[in-house]
Amino acid sequence: MTRILLHTRLDDCLAAWRASGYSVLAPSKSHELTRFNEVQHASDMALDLVLPERTIKDHFFPQTEPLIRYRIKKHEIDTEEMVPPELKRIFFGVRPCDASGLAIDDPLFGWDYKDEYWFRRRGNSVIVTIACTSADDFCMCTSVQLSPDSTKGSDVMLTPLKDGRGWQVLALTDRGNALLETIPSILQESDAEPAPPASVPVKFDIDKVTAWLADPASFESHFWKEISQRCIGCASCTFLCPTCHCFDIQDEGDTYSGIRRKNWDSCSFAMFTMHTSGHNPRNTQSTRWRQRIMHKFNYYRGKFDVNSCSGCGRCTRQCPVDMGITETLQSISNLPR
Amino acid sequence: MGIQEQYRNEAAELLSSGAVKLVIGYGEGSTSDRRRPVFIRSADETARLVLDANCIANLSGYLVPEGLLSDGKSVAVFLKPDGIRSVNILAAEAQVNPDQVVILGFDIDGGQASPLPGRKATDFAPLIESQKSTGLSTELQQEADQLELMSATDRFEYWNQQFSKCIKCYACRQVCPMCYCRRCIVDVNQPQWVNTSSHTLGNFEWNIVRAFHLAGRCVACGGCDRACPVNIPLRLINHRMSKEALDAFDHFAGESADQKPVLATFRQDDPETFIL
Repeated sequence: MTRILLHTRLDDCLAAWRASGYSVLAPSKSHELTRFNEVQHASDMALDLVLPERTIKDHFFPQTEPLIRYRIKKHEIDTEEMVPPELKRIFFGVRPCDASGLAIDDPLFGWDYKDEYWFRRRGNSVIVTIACTSADDFCMCTSVQLSPDSTKGSDVMLTPLKDGRGWQVLALTDRGNALLETIPSILQESDAEPAPPASVPVKFDIDKVTAWLADPASFESHFWKEISQRCIGCASCTFLCPTCHCFDIQDEGDTYSGIRRKNWDSCSFAMFTMHTSGHNPRNTQSTRWRQRIMHKFNYYRGKFDVNSCSGCGRCTRQCPVDMGITETLQSISNLPR
Repeated sequence: MGIQEQYRNEAAELLSSGAVKLVIGYGEGSTSDRRRPVFIRSADETARLVLDANCIANLSGYLVPEGLLSDGKSVAVFLKPDGIRSVNILAAEAQVNPDQVVILGFDIDGGQASPLPGRKATDFAPLIESQKSTGLSTELQQEADQLELMSATDRFEYWNQQFSKCIKCYACRQVCPMCYCRRCIVDVNQPQWVNTSSHTLGNFEWNIVRAFHLAGRCVACGGCDRACPVNIPLRLINHRMSKEALDAFDHFAGESADQKPVLATFRQDDPETFIL
């Protein structure tokens, strides 16, 4: 016997959570874009999507975020720290890859300095993940040692029932347990069978890939030029990535006052490494693409012992020129050795 | 012989005779209906070329990277009429020498790719002329009409919502053959003309700057619209600018390599007095 949540009780669930002071965000479509929006009713949710186009990362590390308001006076500078609001949030219907993305980024934001902006939001958010029972051509979680029912980064795991009436419910963390305690009468005991997870073929051998990347000789390989010839140097892949986390600090205002902001930045851009002198150490697109792959599958794992990729496939799914991590890692995997 | 085989043979011949050093075309993509740009440098690689109704991207942007044409050698490129018009604009703006561009022209109609006769941009002049007389896309116009019917307030709100989605990934810019500036205005930071932040104001600034820079230059290839990962209907902005250029100045972007850029020229007999 396990606890289950029926689709028909989802509205009661949302009402109970709101009554407990949570706001609920779920995948939904607004203005021709699927993303996590605040929802009021179960009917607002688009839970049948393989993945929303935007990730939940946006709600923890927004594309632009004010940090400090400043005013320069004659003999002093006034500053006022701007902190994100203390919201209790539930992310409902997260896919395992997106939930994993948060867990992959946690060590980065907490390594030498604890990023308050990230952790304040993390601390107030409950991640309710739904295991995948369907996948598309671009999904590749199984290639990066995750799976369509991976629990990494999740507080509660929902597994769709075979009969399609609801989900098996499993709390994975204290935060998840606390959330389920707000809906005791809505959950019920059942022996209904779970649906099998989606079948996601393994597309490359990650061990071969990481070994090749770790070899210093690979850095200057001609491979990088060939694989990235068609890359146009936009940031679609990095900005849609659930784990890419690079940012730029910008002051916006006039001579005397303004706001210091933290804005997404991307290693795909030529400007990313441009020095004040005009020298650019990564002056070609191939060196930028190499950086992206090396960072995710060599440097990051060297530092935090995890690949900076959760296999969502958005980089390929949305690439204007049909590139992406899958093709590159497949090609590395197939290089003659 | 189908068009794909015909053009593969032609590409092989161009490469083996030394007429071109490179063929920019389409290859298989990561799914059955996707095509990706491929760069073919020898005749024995031409079997990688694919040509069918899924080959919709405008490849002319791959002609402009610095140094590609500086050795005086020619490059062949697969282009639909929109891409041929792009080459004309790039030539008019002194970005490519049209004599170095061999066009493997084709069009897509009724789910089929069919060859277009001609090899030089000038060979396609009659075709482009007939496109001009047909006018801008009626489908786009119908979509644009929906916006025109809105009140100014509602229309502003519509674009406010659309631009709020922008994440400044600049996929629209990077995929566009017309966005060849070595340093885009948004990347200039001394002074910082345009906010780099992707908040609604910064997004408005970016999208409006781009719309104006494309006025009279966009050939409606749809590249930016397809590339946009957050589905902003960029086609409607560009269409509106194209319509202004056509209605006010009889300017159909990319009509020929001699065409004067609409925003960088004037006529002595212009009825407006503010110019001179």
